[in-house]
Amino acid sequence: MMELEALQGINSEVKAIGARVVALTPEVERYTRGVCKKLNLTFDILTDLHLKTAEQFGLVFILPDYLRELYKSVGITLDKFHDEPEYRLPMPARYVIDKDGIIRAADVNADYTIRPEPSETVRQLAFTPQ
Amino acid sequence: MASLRERLDDFKKAFESGAPPYNMTHEAIEMMHRATAELKASSIEGAALKVGERAPSFTLFNQDHVQVASTDLLHEEPLVVSFFRGHW
Repeated sequence: MMELEALQGINSEVKAIGARVVALTPEVERYTRGVCKKLNLTFDILTDLHLKTAEQFGLVFILPDYLRELYKSVGITLDKFHDEPEYRLPMPARYVIDKDGIIRAADVNADYTIRPEPSETVRQLAFTPQ
Repeated sequence: MASLRERLDDFKKAFESGAPPYNMTHEAIEMMHRATAELKASSIEGAALKVGERAPSFTLFNQDHVQVASTDLLHEEPLVVSFFRGHW
């Protein structure tokens, strides 16, 4: 959520450069709609149903059993959010993809508390042909 | 505005303090640290797509149930694609 707010913060700059932000989550639309509204996002959140796209990017892992129970106990019911029983998640990641479909920048971290700065993404876009 | 890093650090500090509103137990925090350390050690990061590789295309529904195809978007402009976990 904090990262989405930060991306919203650079969205007009990204648009001015001539690029577009999209955010992908395994959550079904009932939740993506809520997030968009709550944060007043001006970019799309796409439902990556059953993590099909995240899998292709090599980002998916299964939550260990001990954490699954902890998550459930605080109401993070991923089975409901994702419409699947497996409790899988994507590693948080940010990619810059050029018009030819080639990855120009990639930030992936197994530690979900570490995210790239949005200003860094703007800088990377400046080096990406429009 | 504070950097994303600073805001994440502040949140982490508050979350792991055990104080309200999160009231996380020491055991719970330890479990989360363990899971992150295990994931780091699994070398999963190295398997993710990297700079220079071709991005898979995707066609997915947005928050308004409109189908969005990455190939259509890329036809017009470069993309920033952010993978995040969810609303929680």
